[in-house]
Amino acid sequence: MDVLEVTHLSCIRQHKTLFTDLNFTLNAGDILLIEGENGSGKSSLLRLLTGLSTPQCGSIFWRRQSIQQLGTRYGQDLHYLSHQNGLKSELTVKENLQLTAELHANALTAFEHTLALLQLNAYQNYFVHQLSAGQKRRLALAKLILFPKTLWILDEPLTSLDTATQQVFLSQLEAHRKKGGIAIISSHHPFLLNAHTLRLGSC
Amino acid sequence: MLGIFYLELLLLLRRSQEWLYPLAFFLIVITLFPLALSPDPLFLQKYIAGGIWIAALFASFLSVAALFDADKKEGHLEQMLLGQTPLPLLILTKLTAQWLVTQLPLIILTPLLGLLFHLSSSVIFALTLSLLLGTPILTCIGSLGVALTLGLRQQGVLLGLLILPLVMPILIFAVTMVQQSQVQLAISGPLAFLAGLSILVITFVPWVIAAALRIGMDD
Repeated sequence: MDVLEVTHLSCIRQHKTLFTDLNFTLNAGDILLIEGENGSGKSSLLRLLTGLSTPQCGSIFWRRQSIQQLGTRYGQDLHYLSHQNGLKSELTVKENLQLTAELHANALTAFEHTLALLQLNAYQNYFVHQLSAGQKRRLALAKLILFPKTLWILDEPLTSLDTATQQVFLSQLEAHRKKGGIAIISSHHPFLLNAHTLRLGSC
Repeated sequence: MLGIFYLELLLLLRRSQEWLYPLAFFLIVITLFPLALSPDPLFLQKYIAGGIWIAALFASFLSVAALFDADKKEGHLEQMLLGQTPLPLLILTKLTAQWLVTQLPLIILTPLLGLLFHLSSSVIFALTLSLLLGTPILTCIGSLGVALTLGLRQQGVLLGLLILPLVMPILIFAVTMVQQSQVQLAISGPLAFLAGLSILVITFVPWVIAAALRIGMDD
């Protein structure tokens, strides 16, 4: 059973309490939208949920097991997209996809279709530093489609995307939800229907 | 794994400053020794090996100093930590590529430098062998220092203070090896020490770097 459970989670940064005693449970097919002002701890919460940061108190369970215990096995089910796109600027679009495939221990197959969907097909052999900010973001999103995983944790995925690509992303998100996937998304745009919303306030 | 190795090599070769700067630095420092100490061939024959080793040591720091910098800035480090490839293995691959691109050219150039300074063939052999065994240790320990100080301000200064004391034994064994070959003594003693240290460091340091990176990213 794919369940993400968060209990009594707190986050303190530089002696400032960002949030305390946060509890929620996400079941298969749930999408959680995290809202809040700048500096309210959205990115910090997402980093905690990926297991990259360790919480001061509280626990996070994936499939009833603590993510600290799961360690790298948690990564099998998880896609994390941070503010940085995680792309190497001296590699081409295609080489970046290869690198991502290697990191996820996956074979890179049928990527042309995904690139076409994201309007990147013509740029396959371009270096990433030659792409625009929106194109880089699209390439970063390509891994969500190419390597299906259950849990998506996305930090402002719509940044610098044009309306057409935003629609592509939303339809992919809907497909992900229909397949029983879980997504946790931080965003300033209230764009999602049927999503749970978590508002982080300044304490 | 081979795919990652290939892409790492490609990345390093495309950033030509990664291997060009340390190589140029190495050559320039070595040309300083005859200028600063003495151009006397007999003197240089005796002492230049130490100079070459000191130059190689600093060149190796220069090459690793920015090792995880781009990875961190571009968010690739996070993807490495979350990826399915075991992190120590990934780091070992990265370090191998790094060593091949930044240190091997310097080692290949050493016999030529030896000829310039009129070193005998057995001394050139000992010197090159000592660099071949010693530079992987420098790359590993240097990278460990980088991983520990990642994201700190004034990283460079701290790196030197942290790492230089740790690599002194390498310098001592390597230079002993060359000195012994100069007086026609057996070099197997320091050679064995250097080889042993090299294997030890290559085996364990990737794990330590992996742990350091995980702790470093946990903020």
